[in-house]
Amino acid sequence: MAQGGGPPEVRVPSAEGLGLDLTLVGQGLLSGLLFGGVYSLMAVGLTLIFGVMRVVNFAHGDMMVWGMYLAFLLATRAGVDPYLGFLICAAALFVLGLAVQRGLVDRIVDAPHEMQILLMLGVALVLENLALVAFGPEPTRVRSPLAAATVWLGPLFVDVARLVTFVVALALTGLLWLFLHRTETGRLIRASADNTYGALVIGADVRRVYAVAFGVGAACVGAAGALVSPILPFQPPTGLSLSITSFNIVIIGGMGSLLGAFVGGLLVSVAESLGAVFLKPSLKELFSFSLLILILLFRPAGLFGGRRR
Amino acid sequence: MANTRSTRRSFLKATAAGAAVAGFPLPLRAQPKTFKIGVIHTVTGPLAEPGQACRVGAQMAADAINAAGGIKAKGGMKLELLLGDTQTKADVARAEAERVVNQGAQFLMGPFNSGDAAAMVPVAQQRRVPFLIDIAAADPITANVAKAVREGQQKVQYVYRNFPTGSSFGRRAVQYFTEIFKEAGVSPKRVVLMHANDLFGSSQARGFRAAWEAAKPSWEIVEVIPWPEPPSDLSTEVSRAKAAKPDIIAPITRPASAQLLLPEIRKQRIEMLGIVGPGSPGLYEAGQLAALKQDLEYVLTSVPWPNFKHPRTKTLAEEYLKRTGGKTFDTNSGYSYDGMFVIADILERAAKLDDPDAIVDAMKKTNYTGGLMQYGGPIVFNELGDNPNAIPTMIQILGQKPVAVWPREAALQKFVFPRPKV
Repeated sequence: MAQGGGPPEVRVPSAEGLGLDLTLVGQGLLSGLLFGGVYSLMAVGLTLIFGVMRVVNFAHGDMMVWGMYLAFLLATRAGVDPYLGFLICAAALFVLGLAVQRGLVDRIVDAPHEMQILLMLGVALVLENLALVAFGPEPTRVRSPLAAATVWLGPLFVDVARLVTFVVALALTGLLWLFLHRTETGRLIRASADNTYGALVIGADVRRVYAVAFGVGAACVGAAGALVSPILPFQPPTGLSLSITSFNIVIIGGMGSLLGAFVGGLLVSVAESLGAVFLKPSLKELFSFSLLILILLFRPAGLFGGRRR
Repeated sequence: MANTRSTRRSFLKATAAGAAVAGFPLPLRAQPKTFKIGVIHTVTGPLAEPGQACRVGAQMAADAINAAGGIKAKGGMKLELLLGDTQTKADVARAEAERVVNQGAQFLMGPFNSGDAAAMVPVAQQRRVPFLIDIAAADPITANVAKAVREGQQKVQYVYRNFPTGSSFGRRAVQYFTEIFKEAGVSPKRVVLMHANDLFGSSQARGFRAAWEAAKPSWEIVEVIPWPEPPSDLSTEVSRAKAAKPDIIAPITRPASAQLLLPEIRKQRIEMLGIVGPGSPGLYEAGQLAALKQDLEYVLTSVPWPNFKHPRTKTLAEEYLKRTGGKTFDTNSGYSYDGMFVIADILERAAKLDDPDAIVDAMKKTNYTGGLMQYGGPIVFNELGDNPNAIPTMIQILGQKPVAVWPREAALQKFVFPRPKV
């Protein structure tokens, strides 16, 4: 803290010129990478749903906002820290996803894409406005002691909340991979995604598989919402921009690819963070969306697309 | 959440009461005709909180005017509000303005968001409906209309504003910054300006920089960092600000971005004299204080503020608190409240009310002294249609409450600057 009255010029001299820029670049990389965990987790949920059902979940961001509000309720009403509460949020969103799939999506799985989009946009509107009625319009955030902590690595600071979020997101994605590859249900999900007809032939209950896949996708985004709730302030309309970011990531990574969604999430976050370092920060989204355009031009199936999961 | 919930309930109650007032008097016998005013604000969407405050302020004012006998010079004519919601979207703002005009609105008031205001202006000009902007700071909103009239492309200016503009915000902010630094006996050199890049944020930033260039004070704006609004992450932006070694960070925020920015500034431990805002929402509202708590303590910001030395302001603030379930009477509710009284004053003086140009004539001659906000003189409209006496006050969060601290004549408490070490 500079002293009042004294000349504020007196400072510990830090690295100058290039050195200073390197600190900033390093910080940008680090912050972007850690924040990317959340992006990855939300994109993983979206890509799972798309990969299995070929339905684009336009209500994805709004489901995430509900995850955030649930974490908020748990923290304010029951004193549950969001870094534990995310499990409850994931479970709750699993149920919501299951209900949405069984009640609505199931009826339009074979319908043309435009009908699916209309339905999912409708679900998004309902979720957003329910949040508005239930929680009011003010932006809010969840307070957690962890969210206030920082660790310093020389000149770089590590936001503990981001670090924890990153680690948990990594672990959840790993668990999801294990679930898909090592369990019977997971194998059925993959089978249905690869060849629905074939899955039916071998006697898979594809309707149940769809419901579980939608539920798991929603659970991912619910967990992502809870984990990010102490970092990112939210209000009911936040969902739309989260949905758009998720689509962007999934397209960059490759629609339906789990690994693609994970890597894409980190890429987009780092790109935006470095964009804020090198460009005017207000143009940082230019970086991530330019990435999208480049991918669409030169690798339309996405970085890890082509072979689905 | 209990707070928000009761707030929402009270808000709905207030809205319902307003709707009841608006909906019932018509069929009763021997009532004088009502004068319909389209009151359009950002009631939902990202700027819903301030928009709802504006609506309640306008309703309270209309209720007070009607209860005191309506527009006396027009046989006690009552005001009837046709409420509209822009959803914080420019296209909806325009559609809502069209709707209320089609329903018979003879006057428009609103809308809080500059982008929405700009979209409502063509409706006012094309349909010849006088429009009083109660809040919206971007300069071009009125300046463009004034220019079109001056150059003969349009005949009459129907759009007026009782709110500081971006450039006047800038001039006052530079003045207050300099005065406060001097009064505190410090000489900060490096100011980093961080701002939202929407129409409002950019206009505020431009105004601040222009005023700084004109005034040539002893401090410098060493870096300008804009962010996309609403942002999803501001940590790199704050790292950039830190790299610029600021003595002061001057933020122009929105509620959501303020909730990202201030904790990030704390986490990155930027050593500086303080955070001093040139004027923006997000740094003083009850909801923001509840969410940001200590991160807002000692933050100074230059905003239009109620004149709490006026005896009526206190009673009104108490009434507002009751009606909203615990919210503070501030910039937004206050300017909409004053706006409705200015309209009533204009209607009292207008030669006739069925001719919009007669209303505009009265509007131009406005010289209203009953405003409850902190003004630099009576409410008048200059050649651009703006009120040059609409000025901001420097407020500071002290003990988790916003308090007017500068200029001296408006101050209720002495500012704390530089902020104490944590």
